[in-house]
Amino acid sequence: MKGIVFTELLDLVEEKFGLGMVDTIIENSELESGGVYTAVGTYSFAEMLSLLKSLSAATGISIDDLLEVYAEHFFSVVEVSYPGFLAQYNDPIEMLASIENHIHVEVRKIYPDAELPTFDIEEKTDKSLTMLYTSSRAMYSFGRGLMNKTFEHFNSSATIIMEKLKEDGTEVRFIITKND
Amino acid sequence: MTKLSVEILERALKRERAARKQAERILEQKARELYTLTQELQFSNKELEHMVWEKTSELKGVFENIIDAFVVMDLSGKVLKMNDAAIDLLGYTIANEPINLIDIVHPDEKQGIIDAFKLLYVNGSVANYQVKVITKEGKTRLVDINASIIYDEKDKPVAAQGIVRDITEFKCLENQKEILLKKLEKSNDELQEYAHVVSHDLKSPLRSIYALVDWIKEDNEGQFNEETLHNFSLIDITLEKMEQLISDVLDYSSVTSENVSAAEVDLNIVFKDIYQILYLPDHIKLSCIKNLPSIKGNRSRLQQLFQNLISNAIRYCDKEEGLIDLDYKDQGEFYQFSIQDNGIGIAPEHHEKIFKIFQSLHQNKESTGVGLSIVKKIVESYQGEIWLESALGEGTTFYFTLKKEL
Ligand code: HEM
Repeated sequence: MKGIVFTELLDLVEEKFGLGMVDTIIENSELESGGVYTAVGTYSFAEMLSLLKSLSAATGISIDDLLEVYAEHFFSVVEVSYPGFLAQYNDPIEMLASIENHIHVEVRKIYPDAELPTFDIEEKTDKSLTMLYTSSRAMYSFGRGLMNKTFEHFNSSATIIMEKLKEDGTEVRFIITKND
Repeated sequence: MTKLSVEILERALKRERAARKQAERILEQKARELYTLTQELQFSNKELEHMVWEKTSELKGVFENIIDAFVVMDLSGKVLKMNDAAIDLLGYTIANEPINLIDIVHPDEKQGIIDAFKLLYVNGSVANYQVKVITKEGKTRLVDINASIIYDEKDKPVAAQGIVRDITEFKCLENQKEILLKKLEKSNDELQEYAHVVSHDLKSPLRSIYALVDWIKEDNEGQFNEETLHNFSLIDITLEKMEQLISDVLDYSSVTSENVSAAEVDLNIVFKDIYQILYLPDHIKLSCIKNLPSIKGNRSRLQQLFQNLISNAIRYCDKEEGLIDLDYKDQGEFYQFSIQDNGIGIAPEHHEKIFKIFQSLHQNKESTGVGLSIVKKIVESYQGEIWLESALGEGTTFYFTLKKEL
């Protein structure tokens, strides 16, 4: 997993809960890297899981909720770092429908070792989109957060229903309906 | 500051420092990678440039040295490029005066070239389009054009290229050949007609001689001695032979492939007719080994073919019991027939000669030396061949093939 996902998470934790919380979750997690992250590095996804577990334990907030909030923060990172990707779209449904075939394809070109999910489109209209999320990392809530922010970015909002097709969350159907 | 928060800060600082070092290492590494990558890129760029240069000069070479005239034009026919051969052919150099292909086409063919251009545009290519063009010197040349559309990378037609071949001389030769062929045909016809007329003209004095000889005999009945009478009968025989000879020549000259009309001929019926017409001595047995096929052709010619060969076999029979067998084999496109006899046989040195006109081997009163040459001519008009096997004193087998359908 790309280092920026770690550094941004720790920054957010520091901002919301203070440096003490950062120290706590790093100390409480088994980390191969010792908690040393740089945005340009690449680290094992297990460390992310470990940090999230510790954070959830220390704050009492569920991992899913943490991931969703974190994704909302991460979107602003994307907005700042990759404004070009967003500028190509003027509709949130269009943008979400092209994660698989465009956005993440470009991401892979920048970071050949990125670990990305797949989003298969099952149905698409002007106002709705049904996609199947598949990833061994089960970061569907991260996806949901990014989706909410995507709508917000275009001054719009949506109702997003998630159907877990697998208990562990490695396969999740997203039913996205744009609000009028 | 509590001891705990100092420790936390210290740990955070340590992590930050380690992270910075890690980042610096990673960036250094990336910088090095970038450097080598740039180096490689520069190198392959040079190679590419070189290759492009090679290709363009290669193409330029091909363009300039191609023997045929080569022209590149835009879609309206305006010539953009032409090689030396094209300049030689047309006399124009586009550097001085821009030319359009449509303008240099012969006035009679303007509409034609416009249509050809449309076709080129629709189909992407035009092959062997022949058109007259006027060169700068005002000469008319007939050219053959093979052209195709050049497309850009988005498959949009951008230009057209064409190989222009000067076929003025070639066409001239072709025309001459045609004229010669026509002439040849005509003189062939004339020759045939001539043979006809001559044979006819020869026959009438012959009849007069016949009549005169008869009158002389009648007028002098009982006055001639034995020897004179014998000589008179020799005159009769010679005249008869002469007449036969003329008929045969007439016959020979009228066998051509054009006489082969395409009716279905049942050779069994032909054989039966021959059997009735020919005088078959009692000691000769003529038999047909199997049922004969039908063949597309001219009935009387086919009859003549079989009849001539069979009557030869009868004529040259010297055995107490003569045998003549007719047989055939199916060879796909052809039938191969055989007529076998147990007659006197033909010596090997004569196997070729006998098919030539006026080559009779025997001073036989019935033989004019035309029969087998007619046979050969008929066989050839069916695209077939004729040959023979023979042993002196034992007999002869004639083989010939006939094409089933012409
Ligand atoms: C301009 C837009 C985007 C950029 C530049 C971007 C980039 C990235 C990057 C760098 C990662 C981390 C990969 C790794 O750590 O190996 C990632 C992961 C992810 N992205 Fe995107 N992304 C974009 C848009 C989106 C959108 C709109 C969604 C919507 C659902 C999305 C869903 C995800 C998810 C769910 C992951 C987590 C990995 C996983 O689940 O396996 N991304 N993306």
